[in-house]
Amino acid sequence: MKILFLFILIFHISHVNADEIYNLIKIPNLEIYKLKNDNNIRYLSAKDNFKIGVNKNISCDKVNINNLNSKFPLIEKNLNRYNSNFLKKIKLKYIVFCENLFISEINTGGIPNHKNRTLILDINFNKKYFERMMHHEIFHMIQNTHIEYFDEDKFSSFNLTSFNYAECSTCSDRLNLDLYEKTDGFLTEYSKSIPSEDMAEIFSFLMTDKEIIEYKINSDKILNNKVNFIKLILAKIDKNIL
Amino acid sequence: MIKTIKASKSEKILFIFLICLSIFAFTSFFLLKNKCLFVEKNNLNKLNFNDPDNIAVMNVECGNVIIELYPDISPKAVERFKILIEQKMYDGSAFYKVSENTFVQAGDIEYGNINNLDYSKIGSGKSGMGLLKSELSNDFKFTEGSVGFARATEFNTEDSEFFITLKEIPIYQGEYTPIGKVVYGLDILTKIKTGNKVFYVLRPDYIKTFRMFNSN
Repeated sequence: MKILFLFILIFHISHVNADEIYNLIKIPNLEIYKLKNDNNIRYLSAKDNFKIGVNKNISCDKVNINNLNSKFPLIEKNLNRYNSNFLKKIKLKYIVFCENLFISEINTGGIPNHKNRTLILDINFNKKYFERMMHHEIFHMIQNTHIEYFDEDKFSSFNLTSFNYAECSTCSDRLNLDLYEKTDGFLTEYSKSIPSEDMAEIFSFLMTDKEIIEYKINSDKILNNKVNFIKLILAKIDKNIL
Repeated sequence: MIKTIKASKSEKILFIFLICLSIFAFTSFFLLKNKCLFVEKNNLNKLNFNDPDNIAVMNVECGNVIIELYPDISPKAVERFKILIEQKMYDGSAFYKVSENTFVQAGDIEYGNINNLDYSKIGSGKSGMGLLKSELSNDFKFTEGSVGFARATEFNTEDSEFFITLKEIPIYQGEYTPIGKVVYGLDILTKIKTGNKVFYVLRPDYIKTFRMFNSN
């Protein structure tokens, strides 16, 4: 009986639906959620748990369709702010919905992959930061597809010389996403992790709370320089995005 | 002295039943093993086409699959496809990637020929003719029997591999270069050996010959 149970469990865990969507974006166990959209983005959802990546280090669970249905209008509203031309430039075509997204056992809100033109979103990510998280991850796609524009050394030089970023985004404990009352060059604690996360945080606030940022930069020269840096580059990519 | 024992009536019936059962089992085994038994063969001599120059005939284990090519939609891809057919480079090409009732894929010239299968490299082979630019069409729908050029994750990496859809796959619209459509013999493709839940097929079925209709 135990062997039978083990067999069923192994089959369940390792079940991979080798289908047409897997063939296209190399993520198993997906189904179409919404295909036709004005900006040509295609929404897919996990019908079963999946593991992908190097040593299967990315894992995510299947979506509860009622949960997704309730969150989809907000997601769509935010993603509709990007036109098809811009999405083509940043190589984003597929949004994959799943729950409890982990990368190397660290819970994350989204994982962008411009090579597969895919952004995986955890629909259970903290409600408080959810909208901002989407734009944050989209920034990474912008940066990864226009890497020549985003000079991280130049961006880092806006900081005080005494400040140092961490080695990587997950090798520090600077993870808080709340907006600082007194910014001092950084919008959140997570901004202090690495330059690309700092940029992504700025972009996400510009997309969701532009007025607050415009107010903050009046009294924060470092932040002002950083915001202008991001705005200037984005204008080169697409004049209408901000 | 050996005494002859006469079989009872019930024993005779049982004996006849066993013989019938074994005959039935024997014939069934051979009939069921023949996956092509109920597949309609397409006799080329009885078929007529409006544009025979753009008709290709792929012969596989169960018969002929007739494909109409669409040079108006993707001229470069169709041109490449015709060259590969005319040079007989698809002969022996394995259907190494098959998703049951979804699609079949073949055409790896370098590592996917049945006489020289390299399982470790299959799917990465080249034709030696260089990569093609994707010719995508937002209007072409990948319905049942559509033929498309396969590619790597990136666009503009089409070479020789192609796939045929066995059902409508709306998500492929605008994603793959269309080559044509199966006009006869789609049921033949459903008989191609699958990998059972995995893409890659061990000891795969293969293309016997692939010719342009006019060269037959």
